[in-house]
Amino acid sequence: MSDKQATIYIVDLGATMKDCHNGRIETDLDFAMRYVWDKITTTMAASRKTWQLGVIGLRTDDTNVPLDDDDGYEHISVLKDLGPMEMSHLRSLQRSLDNEKIDKNEGGDATSAIALAVDMINKGTTNAKGVPLKFERKIILVTDGRGDIDGDEAYLSGLSKQINEANITLIVVGVDFDDPDYGYKEEDKDTKKADNEALLKSLAEECYGSVFGTMAEAVEDLAVPRLKSTRPYSTFKGKLTLGNPEKYELTAVSIDVERYFRTKSAKPPSASSYVTRSDTGASVQSSNTVEDTDMHDITAAGGDLSSVKTSYAYKVKDETSTLGWKHVDRDDLEKGYEYGSTAVHIAASDENVTKLETFQSFSIIGFIPWEKYERYLNMGESCVTIAQQTNDRAQLALSSLIHALFETESYAVARIVAKDGKDPIIVLLAPSIEPHLECLIDVPLPFAEDIRPYRFPPLDRVITTTGAVLDKHRNLPTHDLKEAMGKYVDAMDLSNLGRNDDDERTEYMTIEETYSPLIHRMDQTIRRRAITSDETVGPPADILLKWAQPPEELVAASSSQLEALVEAADVKRVLPKTKGKRKGRDTITPLSGLDIESLLNSQKRLKISAENAIPEFKQMLQNSETEETIEYAADQMGVIIRGLVSKSTGNTEYDRAIENMKVMRDQSIKYDLVEKYNDFLRDLKSKIAKEELNGDRREFWFQAVKQNRLGLIDDETIPTSTVSPQEAREFFSIKSELPDRSKAA
Amino acid sequence: MAENESWRRDSEEDEDDDERDESYYGSQKNAVIFAIEVSPSMLASPPPSDDKKADTDSPAIAALKCAYQLMQQRIISNPKDMMGVLLFGTEKSKFQDEANTSGVISYPHCYLLNDLDVPSAEDVKALRNLLEDDNNSEEVLQPSEEKATMANMLFCANQIFTTRAPNFGSRKLLIITDNDDPHPNDKDASQSAAVRAKDLYDLGVIIELFPISRPDHEFDLIKFYDDIRYRDPEQTDIDALGMTGHQDHKAGGKDGISLLNSLLSDINAKQVAKRALFSNMPFEIGPGFKISVKGYNILQKQAPARSTYIYVDGEQAQIAVGETTKQDENTQKTVEKVEIKKAYKFGNEQVLFTPEEQKQMKDFGPPGIRILGFKPQSMLPNWASMKKATFIFPSEDGYVGSTRVFSALWQKLLKDKKMGIAWFIARSNATPVLVAILPSSEKMDSNTNQQVIPQGLWLYQLPFVDDLRQPPEILKPLVSPDNLIDAMRKIVQQLQLPKAEYDPSKYPNPALQWHYKILQAMALEEEIPSIPEDKTIPKYRQIDKRAGEYALLWMGALELASRSGPTRKREAMDENSGSAAPKKRIKVEPKDETSLFDMSLKTLRGVVEGETLSKHTVAELKALCTAKGLASTGKKADLVDRIEQWVEGQD
Repeated sequence: MSDKQATIYIVDLGATMKDCHNGRIETDLDFAMRYVWDKITTTMAASRKTWQLGVIGLRTDDTNVPLDDDDGYEHISVLKDLGPMEMSHLRSLQRSLDNEKIDKNEGGDATSAIALAVDMINKGTTNAKGVPLKFERKIILVTDGRGDIDGDEAYLSGLSKQINEANITLIVVGVDFDDPDYGYKEEDKDTKKADNEALLKSLAEECYGSVFGTMAEAVEDLAVPRLKSTRPYSTFKGKLTLGNPEKYELTAVSIDVERYFRTKSAKPPSASSYVTRSDTGASVQSSNTVEDTDMHDITAAGGDLSSVKTSYAYKVKDETSTLGWKHVDRDDLEKGYEYGSTAVHIAASDENVTKLETFQSFSIIGFIPWEKYERYLNMGESCVTIAQQTNDRAQLALSSLIHALFETESYAVARIVAKDGKDPIIVLLAPSIEPHLECLIDVPLPFAEDIRPYRFPPLDRVITTTGAVLDKHRNLPTHDLKEAMGKYVDAMDLSNLGRNDDDERTEYMTIEETYSPLIHRMDQTIRRRAITSDETVGPPADILLKWAQPPEELVAASSSQLEALVEAADVKRVLPKTKGKRKGRDTITPLSGLDIESLLNSQKRLKISAENAIPEFKQMLQNSETEETIEYAADQMGVIIRGLVSKSTGNTEYDRAIENMKVMRDQSIKYDLVEKYNDFLRDLKSKIAKEELNGDRREFWFQAVKQNRLGLIDDETIPTSTVSPQEAREFFSIKSELPDRSKAA
Repeated sequence: MAENESWRRDSEEDEDDDERDESYYGSQKNAVIFAIEVSPSMLASPPPSDDKKADTDSPAIAALKCAYQLMQQRIISNPKDMMGVLLFGTEKSKFQDEANTSGVISYPHCYLLNDLDVPSAEDVKALRNLLEDDNNSEEVLQPSEEKATMANMLFCANQIFTTRAPNFGSRKLLIITDNDDPHPNDKDASQSAAVRAKDLYDLGVIIELFPISRPDHEFDLIKFYDDIRYRDPEQTDIDALGMTGHQDHKAGGKDGISLLNSLLSDINAKQVAKRALFSNMPFEIGPGFKISVKGYNILQKQAPARSTYIYVDGEQAQIAVGETTKQDENTQKTVEKVEIKKAYKFGNEQVLFTPEEQKQMKDFGPPGIRILGFKPQSMLPNWASMKKATFIFPSEDGYVGSTRVFSALWQKLLKDKKMGIAWFIARSNATPVLVAILPSSEKMDSNTNQQVIPQGLWLYQLPFVDDLRQPPEILKPLVSPDNLIDAMRKIVQQLQLPKAEYDPSKYPNPALQWHYKILQAMALEEEIPSIPEDKTIPKYRQIDKRAGEYALLWMGALELASRSGPTRKREAMDENSGSAAPKKRIKVEPKDETSLFDMSLKTLRGVVEGETLSKHTVAELKALCTAKGLASTGKKADLVDRIEQWVEGQD
């Protein structure tokens, strides 16, 4: 793909385009514009300044051509000069299409428009001396073929010669043009159109690489997502070694290679943050210097927007301040690292002291057999390594390694430092032999630190607490279940379900057929929104959801196996708990089964101590026999929480108070003490608003209620609540009865 | 601390959902207290032994060393986690700094060596001093005449957790002792310990016991410890099964595994709760047939922490906490989150969407894993790798019976070398991806006999066509002559890795280790090491020794081949422009009817009947065997037999 593009769209705006044909309910123009808008917005979405486009209107009312003599160019208008396409152009183009009061006039020769387009491209893609620059040049003609076309043969052959000399690709897309390849033929075509079609077709045939097609096919193709082309990106150029060429120069193997990306996660377009500009003042631009080049003033359909920038403030602990901290200036700070809770200052001169010094290298550590590697250990994206292209020796050497790996069914494990100073990684190298490409494929492997020591019980046996091993257990599949699963898995085989171009059975759902749903959804939606800002966001296109479900024919064919599996599995859904329960509590015992409940009962803790509040609160609820004790317990928790907040210096006790609140809330849901908790919270809010808890405690409220979501219990959580979710949400905001001090800083 | 969190959370919400992954779940933190008993038997050195590997540390010292090593390790792997060390049974008593306590409570014979906190350089130093300085250790590690009561020790731990780590997601008390019966003949003391243990349970603290048996005394759990330990409430039924089983650690054992190493690996696995990445995730095996699973990040790339800003003007260097505010670029006014709109750059302008529309655009349905069908694992190309895989394990939370169904699926996939293909949405509004579901069999560490890879399934993300990159256009490759391949094959065979496998535990990340080694030296004011240890550097001497001879032969062959190279290249070029493909020992020609792999059954039958199967290469035969689910081992004749039998069986 060339870096630069110059494309001219010629759009037929003649009166006949405003009619509907062949059973369509949209006009031919709207039909054709679907294709044109899609093409134009695709170019725009790429945001490449070197992708230029222009638009010429054909069969327009007026004549507007940049020529001294517009004789022969009547009813042709340049709607957009060749250049980068911006939103403002798009809008003006939309307006000119809407405003075009298509007259009964005839005239406006498509071939003249092509000649004009050739001229525009030639002017736009040559340097000052008239030397053509490297461009991908294209003319796309969209017409219904019902206008007048001068069929002079000499003129046409001259035109095709011009097009070929200028290295332009001509694409003719006609509304209801016949296309045997696609399988379309318009019945009762009028002779003028038939003649024009034949004429345009013969012109296209004279031009190298041209395309002549029918609009229906072009519109149909729009649904297929288009891939962004990327250029090969080299991640390493140097020597692949086995042994140390410096120390063991005689025996060290060294091959000149290049390494490129093979997979790289494609990212959806990213959004930036804006706010609607609050001030209408015109002086804004002048008073502020724009620091970031990317942040210019913007106007969009939504009104005036202003970029949002992030500003950073820093603070440190300060015992002498009443707040417990103070702000510090960014300039007074130095770089450093955290070692546990210790700040390790690193002087600017030692900046790289913790960095491992490395030099570019790619060296094989050893080899392992294929069956000794598990794929799920791959840590990321893959690359390919090929021999240096101009180096026969390297090609032969790498080829011998690739074939040797293939024949011994081995992988190589290698250490790579992509560039001087980059951290080393370990990769697995797998041989790949295809007729046109021999290469090594590599994937990154985990280091020792990358594997967490999580342990799981086995799946094929059950080990009891006493250490006995069981092979029959409700958690283990029965013979029947295993059998049913086996049959189901075999029935749902995808390896032979697809069809290739020759309609033969092949693998279903190859990677080449799967499009990223998010990327293309966003791309389609953004482009759609750019043309029609009032339209709502529609559902994803069918092609993007194709792989969200198993193939229908397979599901139908394997329904009996699935039925058998469901029966053998006997799985039961766990229903969500609907109501807090107070009766029938689970008794919890230690591993020995000791009756801890009665032990606790015999101790009769009557009052909850602040030190051990959570366990004692839980135990009191657990052992309570009367409503009074339960409410009494909740009251005491309330006192303890308020006490912690009151005695907190700054936020020192907040975490603990919040933890107590969390437990109180959870238990209130469990024991149906919803009103008790909600009352406590209302009271707490009013006390904080009035600063009755030893000073300004709004920070506590924010942390507890907003961040830890410890607000009112609503009737969605538990039906007995009298609070609606809406009410619970609104309850968050605390209206201070005091002057706002927080903004002062 | 709390403010720090709130700042972090805000900035996270702005990021894309996908980036949340670990950092989001990381907001749940761990707090661990080591409780190490100090008693004459815990301090007794093992009997002298001639075996070099034999322990020389007393159990108490081994436990302290273990805490010391883990502390350094955790600073690297989980820098936000808290750790504390509490000795009990000591002559001296020490609790938190007086200012922090409520004053009256004291815990006799409990010595809080390191208070529970994110470890500082000082903490590491204190532990090291205790281990290296005999005078110091004698003073602290002095057993008391009178025993510490367990109730007291447990309440002491309770108070440490309550005050220092009130809202940590996971809190564990690790008890290391050789005394299985701390209160013989004292029922009251045992009962109060049980009550205090229940307090800890209700507080959400899990007690993990690391019992040490002596050659003359097996640790008996029934005597006391089963009364104070509970099943982990966080773990599901199945998780608890088999996981509560404990390992006995042997003091003075002669089985080659030192007490320290045995403690280290066991504690390492138990000190931190396995944190699920997602829970109660619907796993739809067939239309309408669901079970529930949990997901875990067993693999997680560890990277050095990013640098921070440090305030050095105060008495002590301290970390500056950053706060971000959003401002209107034009007016400099602070902007509230609700005011912010999202827009996409398009044609040099912005295309605007409301937050609801944004959400709608990213909405592809609720979270879940939906199986679309199955393929042989051989259909997963080597290059189809995107990111680390997520481990999934059944849970009975959503569907009772999930475990047995999961197990049946796992067994089938493992047996037939198949994989599931599934559509996967990890969280609401997360990007949908396609995954291969791969089974894993259990792998043990050969040294410690501890599990490294569990039995289960992995969600292995597949690339979309958008994620594929093409290598540059190249000429048809030069293919190595057979003698050169043969020479290289010998080299490959000579240089297998130990045990013919890649064992990650043998390769610590050199950049990460070096970063923290330097930081540690700076923090502890030690001498800064100058030569990094890098275990990823190939063993050059061995390579030279084992394969040098063959490498020389290979180089000779290469020299010859490359001299005649240009002619070969011309051949290759000619072939490129038309005629037959170059002669190759291994033909990998897609859609080629002469390639076994692509043959229809009918053609294949013809080949078998014509007895020309043996004309195909071993590699081709093997590929076919793998594709058809047949064993791919053995000699060529075996492969031919196997395929013939298979073809005959296909009627």
